[in-house]
Amino acid sequence: MFRTRSTRVAALLAAGALALAGCAESTESDDASGGAAASDEGPIKIGAILDITGPGASLGVPERQTLELLHEQLEAAGGINGREVELLIEDNQSTEDGAAKAMSKLVNEEEVDIVLGASRTGPSLAMRPLAESSQTPMISLAANQAIVNGSEWVFKTAQNDRVVIERMIGYMEQQGYTTIGLARDASGFGEGVQEMFDEIGSDAGISVVATEKFAPDATDFTAQMVNLRNAAADVNVIWGIPPAAGLAQKAYRQLGLETPVMQSHGIGNQVFLDTAGAQADGLVAPLGRLVVADQLPDDDPQKEVIEAFIADYTEKFDMSPSTFSGHAYDGWKLAVDALEEVGTDPQAIRDHLEQVEGFVGISGVFTMTPEDHSGLQADALQLVTVENGKWKRLDDQATG
Amino acid sequence: MTDLLQLLFAGLSQGAIYALIAIGFVAIFAVSGVINLAQGEFAALAGLVAISARASGLPLPVAVVVAVATVAVVAVVMERLTIAPVKAMTTLVSLILTLGVSTALKALMLLVYGPNAEGLEAITPGIVTVAGVSIRYQDLWILLVAAVVSAAVYWFYDRTVTGKALRACAEQPVAARLVGISLGRASLISFLIAGIVGALAGVLSSPVYFTSWESGLALGLKGFVAATLGGLVSIRGAVLGGFVLGVLETLTAGYVSTGLRDAVAFLLLIVVLVVRPGGIFGRHAEARV
Repeated sequence: MFRTRSTRVAALLAAGALALAGCAESTESDDASGGAAASDEGPIKIGAILDITGPGASLGVPERQTLELLHEQLEAAGGINGREVELLIEDNQSTEDGAAKAMSKLVNEEEVDIVLGASRTGPSLAMRPLAESSQTPMISLAANQAIVNGSEWVFKTAQNDRVVIERMIGYMEQQGYTTIGLARDASGFGEGVQEMFDEIGSDAGISVVATEKFAPDATDFTAQMVNLRNAAADVNVIWGIPPAAGLAQKAYRQLGLETPVMQSHGIGNQVFLDTAGAQADGLVAPLGRLVVADQLPDDDPQKEVIEAFIADYTEKFDMSPSTFSGHAYDGWKLAVDALEEVGTDPQAIRDHLEQVEGFVGISGVFTMTPEDHSGLQADALQLVTVENGKWKRLDDQATG
Repeated sequence: MTDLLQLLFAGLSQGAIYALIAIGFVAIFAVSGVINLAQGEFAALAGLVAISARASGLPLPVAVVVAVATVAVVAVVMERLTIAPVKAMTTLVSLILTLGVSTALKALMLLVYGPNAEGLEAITPGIVTVAGVSIRYQDLWILLVAAVVSAAVYWFYDRTVTGKALRACAEQPVAARLVGISLGRASLISFLIAGIVGALAGVLSSPVYFTSWESGLALGLKGFVAATLGGLVSIRGAVLGGFVLGVLETLTAGYVSTGLRDAVAFLLLIVVLVVRPGGIFGRHAEARV
């Protein structure tokens, strides 16, 4: 009996210890020189809470790089109206509680003037109540419209999922598809997506006939793809972020699915192309203009801004920026614009952000209203496909 | 039918990886009663080392050898620095020590390799379709290597004098020492084996399942559950446990709900520990008392 009892105890202990390890915490502070900031003197403090480690890393890392680049540029140009700007970056480890904790630290201890982030929907939603209750302006870089629905203090720069889905439905309508098989991220980013496809597609007679979910850190997609194959829809949609979205795309082709496949705007980075490899060819996705900057017509209003950003980013980091870098760029520029115009009074910043009009950014041309704290419409997206491992703008943009 | 076969095959491939990790747990536990929570990190580290070696221009086979050798050294150093100096080792002490090593390794990997997940290139890229079932060539490599490695480790522990001597250390430490078996050397060899097997799991799984600094946690958990299903002291049990877990996970995801996939391992662990604490194949363990 000795052996069995010790085995059982050992197993329980080990399970407990591993579970603890999973919860272990670490925070990353980019520039953690503390001290209370009076609102009218001393440096202006911009906080950022990003998904730097964990499943959101392929979003958070380029966003951090972008903010560091822009901060450097701003410092070199003499700060905001002569005042020094301090950038404080926190890693939320792609978790909701990590985001809430970082938010409370930035708001209560660091007393930042504005907060950027998080990179993904779930952590952004976890930050929202703190922004509202402490009356701190916050600009999320994530997609789900729920982040800004009815918000007073929260804005966002990534294209709303509603806008993305409108664009996708438009394309489906044009192609004559009526049934959708959906494999979606099981976290906040995929929440409510199926309902939205059904709602927006109802006028065109398009509906979702099968929904499969996958965890953001999933690695095996056989089950989801087998079920999609059996659903035999006209078009399948994979809604996730890399690397999961790339692995799902890979499994899709490897299991021999030949149904056309669409992906969301969550895949606009090189990591996706790297993970999906040759299996990405032929997919269609609505993405920001950044990934196809070289293919934009010359009269495109964003072309100049995008090309300048790509040049600066490539020079500093020796790699191309992703659409997520673009979300960070827009968030930073909106914040700096507001701080330059109205100073550090939170109420004034909020009011200024709400009245932004025709602001040319990387993800689109922003026009905010009290009802719309996202500011982008379907024209902020381009239908893009992949050809030989490169993004390619579709000639027919199917704006329907 | 095609679906069932497809799911079964995916489960076997995944299960083979769990089995390799589980062998690592058993290789150490059966010798010294140490549970090595850094077993999953061995796999993650091997994957990352192989990827960066490949990126620096080394041919794939060399990159794999470099990765396995690196992890073997890490395992041996870990044993010498954290396990060997402890006079009165108990399973609880070993858990705390190896948890520390695991956390340190993760932090180190994050610092050196950054937060992104990447995949090593496959040994043979591409897929083959048999009777409607898509099979990646890499899956076949995984199954082949897992079969060879588990047979070799099993043969070593159960059929060779050295292997039996190692096991004697756990059964009767005092008697083992009396007949001239060095406990320190035994523990060192067991870590070497665990390091190599874990590294192979990491290198083989990387092309399909990708590797990041934190992928060791999930692998380690699943491998540990697989080892426990087999009673923690049997190589055969660990291998079977790995396959059972892999197949059950995939079938649950396919036929019940994809959300339940990760819960399967832990439900199974609880049921087995309550009903058959010696493992589902536990005849072996009970008889030994």
